Amino acid sequence: MSVRKRLALSLGLVVISSSLLFLFASWTERPADKSKAFPRGVIVVGVDASIPPFASDDGQAVYGLDIDLANAIAGTIDLPIRFLNIGYYGLYDALISGEVDILISALRVEEARMDDVRYTRHYFDNGLLLVTPVEKPITSLDRLAGQRVAYEFGSRAETELRVLEDKNEAVTRLPYELPTYALDSLRLEYADAAIVDAITLRLYQRRFADWRSAQRSLTRDPYAIAARHDNRDAWRLVDGALAALKENGELDKIIALWL
Amino acid sequence: MLNSFRCKSRRFFKLLPRAGWLLLLTTVYIVFSSTWSPVEYVELGEAQIVQTTKPQVCVHTLLENEVQELKIKRSLELVREMGATTIVQFFPWAYFEPSDDKYNWTQADIIVRHAKNQGLRIIARLGLVPDWARPATSEGRATTLNYLPEASFDDFAEYASQLAARYLEEIRHFIIWNEPNLSFEWGYRPVDPAAYVRLLELSYRAIKDANPQALVLAGALAPTNEMPGSPAGLNEFSYLREMYSSGAAPYFDALAVHSYGSTEPADAEPSADRLNFRRLEFLRQIMVEADDDAKPVFITESGWNDHPRWSGAVRPSQRLQYTIKAFEFAESNWSWAEQLCIWAFRYPAPLNGYPDNFTLVSPEFDLKPIYYAIQDYARGWERGATGWLPPPEEP
Repeated sequence: MSVRKRLALSLGLVVISSSLLFLFASWTERPADKSKAFPRGVIVVGVDASIPPFASDDGQAVYGLDIDLANAIAGTIDLPIRFLNIGYYGLYDALISGEVDILISALRVEEARMDDVRYTRHYFDNGLLLVTPVEKPITSLDRLAGQRVAYEFGSRAETELRVLEDKNEAVTRLPYELPTYALDSLRLEYADAAIVDAITLRLYQRRFADWRSAQRSLTRDPYAIAARHDNRDAWRLVDGALAALKENGELDKIIALWL
Repeated sequence: MLNSFRCKSRRFFKLLPRAGWLLLLTTVYIVFSSTWSPVEYVELGEAQIVQTTKPQVCVHTLLENEVQELKIKRSLELVREMGATTIVQFFPWAYFEPSDDKYNWTQADIIVRHAKNQGLRIIARLGLVPDWARPATSEGRATTLNYLPEASFDDFAEYASQLAARYLEEIRHFIIWNEPNLSFEWGYRPVDPAAYVRLLELSYRAIKDANPQALVLAGALAPTNEMPGSPAGLNEFSYLREMYSSGAAPYFDALAVHSYGSTEPADAEPSADRLNFRRLEFLRQIMVEADDDAKPVFITESGWNDHPRWSGAVRPSQRLQYTIKAFEFAESNWSWAEQLCIWAFRYPAPLNGYPDNFTLVSPEFDLKPIYYAIQDYARGWERGATGWLPPPEEP
């Protein structure tokens, strides 16, 4: 066998063995260590209790969707839980300095923080929706041209509408002071479509349970849980618990309770 | 068949050295192109003058993290076009003195050059502690960038002095620290007005040595209801009183305060137990009681937030109306308020939280309705109703 053939063979063997080693390592990764993830023996959760219905503080305790979710995660991991109500600006500092173990606070995934933080899979998407009457759905954004579109003045719905108009023909704009007025306008047939976020629509549908609408997603705004980057065990445990709650339908129940 | 395969193999191995060269060149190109970037050359353009009818209009800019000079220039052009005369701009110590006595003023130079060219006055806000000036940990926890040990007060003052000396003509206003009455801003430690006054004194002396014309602003105090002993901070009234009792008066020329409207209109009655725009009238009263009312107040952060969910926010339409009313109210009633600065002009990138809804301009330079409303007010323009429709009525 020539030197070149041997070289090619060796290279091939190196590539194959490295791949096998990588696969083996991934397959046999040790289970996450609870005591390493949460050395205090309790999951300390940082939350900014000023974003209802995700988290609020009545002076006695914190409550809301995020709080119920955190409790369900702690139950799945089988550890007690403690909440620390921190203002938004202090959340990530509290996580990085170790004051809290995880953050559950309607957090949007921020790529810029990923050197310091690991995010779990998302548990809610509050993206913008194009809402139309169920009997007259606008299936394609091309068909929005000339339609009457209701939205909240000065909101991100207005920004998104501008983006849509840049790509398509102009619409007839119906700006209102409140996003619920935009949905009223649609329900009362003053508008052909409305742009609101997912939370607004869910809350509105609770008030008008008989009213049916069709929706099309315009933007994504996923909320996730954050753990410190160097605390991979915490991230794995929490992400695993979240996956289990999604799987067994518990997450949907929690969301339905608040939204 | 076998011969043909051998022939192809030989050809492949003959080509291998050439392929190696190609691979090497590609690698060099990738490494070179990822580490080298062309020097961005942005023309200053003609020197500008701010056209305004309301000189107290000011905004807090955040250009220290803006990577592209072109965006710094664009931001400051928009500030000027809005009719603001002044910016509050953060000059983080950790950025400009990354090692002890080793200064890197590149970003500061760019900001100052463009602000000057747009005819804008700069109020420099100082803070953010470099690694070398603080311990890595304290009481078993990593220290944050707001942790300034007393042993480094002299180093901070030296930085303030260097900044004042470098921009002798361009910067005459210096805010010493930010919201020292919040424990988060004091490095997650109990707040300490007496220690802050020691920092203020050292900084005051250092800045005045460098530029006797400079004005030193104390604070900027945050509005908060925290009572003495709270781990989160101390209300601004108690804090200011303690500052005076610790001998602060000779060491500042003006008081910097933050005055947010929260969920109330601009002219809502001031209250010591609620956060609203006029609450700072109580702070002014403390200055009067301390016989220190010859000094002006600079409102270096203010405004309303229009996040759809945050409990401290209002709707975008309310934000617009309250903000303009705040300017009008301050102009008519607070002769002692020299500037009213809106937090914040624009973030270089989204924060992905409710703070994004404090801005006037998006990271992509979309001008929000609030920008146009302030522009109309500052420049005395009548643009007509920027409007929204009345609520739809049930048929």
